[in-house]
Amino acid sequence: MLSRRLRIALSILVVASLTFIILDLRGGEGPLSSARAALSSIMGGVQSGAAFVFAPLTSFNSWWGTLNAQSQQIRDLRAENENLQLQVRIAENERARVDEMNALLKVSSVGEYAIVPAEVIAVGPAQDFSWTVTIDAGRDDGVEPDMTVINGQGLVGRVLKAFATTSTVVLIVDASSAVGGRIATTEEIGIVSGTGRQDSLDFQLLDPLAEVRSGDALVTFGSKGGRPYAPGLPIGEVVEVTGTAGQLTRVATVRPFAKVSALSIVGVVVQPPRTDPRDTLVPGPGAVVSPPAPSSEPTSGIEVEQPATPAPEVALE
Amino acid sequence: MIWRQGLLILGVVFVADVLQATVLSRLGIPAATPDLLVVAVVALALALGPTEGAIAGFLAGALVDISPPSDTPLGVNSLVYLVIGFVTGFVIHPRDRTVWVSMGLVGLSTAGAALATAAIDALLGSPRVIWSEVPTVVLASALYGVLLAPLVIPAVAWLAARVAPAPPAELRLPPRITDMS
Repeated sequence: MLSRRLRIALSILVVASLTFIILDLRGGEGPLSSARAALSSIMGGVQSGAAFVFAPLTSFNSWWGTLNAQSQQIRDLRAENENLQLQVRIAENERARVDEMNALLKVSSVGEYAIVPAEVIAVGPAQDFSWTVTIDAGRDDGVEPDMTVINGQGLVGRVLKAFATTSTVVLIVDASSAVGGRIATTEEIGIVSGTGRQDSLDFQLLDPLAEVRSGDALVTFGSKGGRPYAPGLPIGEVVEVTGTAGQLTRVATVRPFAKVSALSIVGVVVQPPRTDPRDTLVPGPGAVVSPPAPSSEPTSGIEVEQPATPAPEVALE
Repeated sequence: MIWRQGLLILGVVFVADVLQATVLSRLGIPAATPDLLVVAVVALALALGPTEGAIAGFLAGALVDISPPSDTPLGVNSLVYLVIGFVTGFVIHPRDRTVWVSMGLVGLSTAGAALATAAIDALLGSPRVIWSEVPTVVLASALYGVLLAPLVIPAVAWLAARVAPAPPAELRLPPRITDMS
């Protein structure tokens, strides 16, 4: 039957695996967790390099959908790029024009988030049902655990672990994620939790009698000190409400604004705004996203800090 | 020859892990991620034998668990993959290593890995497992594994013949997967 060598090897390996599991579940700091963090840090660096090498394969949202639609990919990227540039410009101008804007539109400043830009370089396998990604900004760029991660569309997730040059981000659709949310128009608050499915979140209202309709937009109500979630960030749109008013289990299904299955460029909020921007960031008719008139003095309201190591650029011209 | 085999195992597992996290996971392939790690472990076990298969499985699982986006408890994948490596190396007689047997084995292994990790994660109290989606994930994972097998198994067998040519005594039987190339 089993040779002696095989028996010994098997026993050692099984015992080692079980020991790892037990130590890991026990939690806390220890030699194992610091060794794991060090190795994770190294693997993150390797992933950065590999992601750069394989960028032609993966820098687009969906390889399958775009096999014969290269021009569509270019258009999409250009649109995204323009969108991001527009946002930066809006933010720059906003501060200079904040007084008039406040007087005129009764909104607060949009651009007070200090953001570190980053690119998604690795994604966890679908098999373990977790929605976690690696981004190429880490402690060296000022990223710390429990910082908010956003993209052009809205809230993406929060930083779970930060390594030297990379970080692990847990996305809002992950089943372990819970975000405090507020309906943009009625101010009703509740908990937005992930379901593990990429296009749906559950929104549980704190007040079971509160009114919620499909089409309502949700924003974060923010955590203490802006961590893990900065206030006023768009989360998603209510698409379905189950249960009637007054029922204890009244849950709304929310479609996140950010398309989490096809993330590429994200921003880590290293400094939340001093004041809650309320619902000015929600896309749609209520939002103030009209391109600003060219301002005479574009004062920088949004500090886009460059990462210490320049992120690999998604260049396809 | 032990260090050469160790080098081969480490190299294959490392490359597979990096490719899986940075390329295969990001292609947006529906339902599941092609489980290159499991295919690599099966390929190594077929080329080197049950002990080496178990070691390769353990290392592959540990690497998956420490590679950044992962948030699963360390050790779960090690346990699952080492069983796969051991069973593969143990049950398949070198003479049975035809293309079809190898592909079937990879299909069973990838399906088993998906199912076992879901089951263990659920047992350990992970809130993430969606049981209604498990059958889809398991089937898709098996399908992608079967598709990867004809690429990975001959490549690893070829590498093994180059890097660690002396097979262990109990495996000194003629052709290894010659009919796959």
